[in-house]
Amino acid sequence: MLNITRRRGERVVLGDDVFISVLEVSGQTVRLGIDAPRSVRVYREEIWLEVKRENEASAHASGASLPADLPAPLKSDSGEGTRSNVVNPPPQS
Amino acid sequence: MALAIESTRFGHVEIDPETIIEFPDGLIGLGGTRFALLTSDPNSPFLWLHCVDDPSLSLPVTDPHRFFSGYEVELTDEDAERLGLDDATPVDVFVTVVASSELSEFTANKRAPILVWNGQGHQIINQAPDTDLRAPLFAEVMGSAGDPS
Repeated sequence: MLNITRRRGERVVLGDDVFISVLEVSGQTVRLGIDAPRSVRVYREEIWLEVKRENEASAHASGASLPADLPAPLKSDSGEGTRSNVVNPPPQS
Repeated sequence: MALAIESTRFGHVEIDPETIIEFPDGLIGLGGTRFALLTSDPNSPFLWLHCVDDPSLSLPVTDPHRFFSGYEVELTDEDAERLGLDDATPVDVFVTVVASSELSEFTANKRAPILVWNGQGHQIINQAPDTDLRAPLFAEVMGSAGDPS
């Protein structure tokens, strides 16, 4: 990992268009300012990580077939405009 | 012409190319850039968000409004600007579901909903209050003692 020492007010540049500024240093806390193109997504690592883990848990959960016999949802018609593809049920395992 | 994939979960599947949803940024931490929604039961509240380019990547999703009354999605100003979304844009909202053998253990991710509009999809971090990462999916529909009216 690259290690760079910076003081308050100094910046690091990633590529040509991502600028990370050290705004404030106070005890164990560092405030960073991030100036990046709109297309660059910026997350706090712990939030990114928990969503990544939840996505993986969803993709890997057992049960190829979801239960058909469900309690009635709050509303039955979702009104979703996005079209889906009807496929054969997964093979029972 | 239909696009055929050999899905790990569903076997041979044909996808209408017009239903393909482009995810320019993929799902958070998972990637994938083209997905389609699949269902083997049009009456089920669940759909499968299936990656078109990775036959082993699929996630069950649902419309959160079917299970959580008052569910709202709030974007950061940066996301709203990045995605070009405003309140007037009609957007379909889905949440990922972690399935289980017990209904009581099903959870949905209210924190990172998937927004779909105009054939594109984005998973975003919801800024609204009450956005559990693992919200019990059936708590509200099973917990209500009163008659549905």
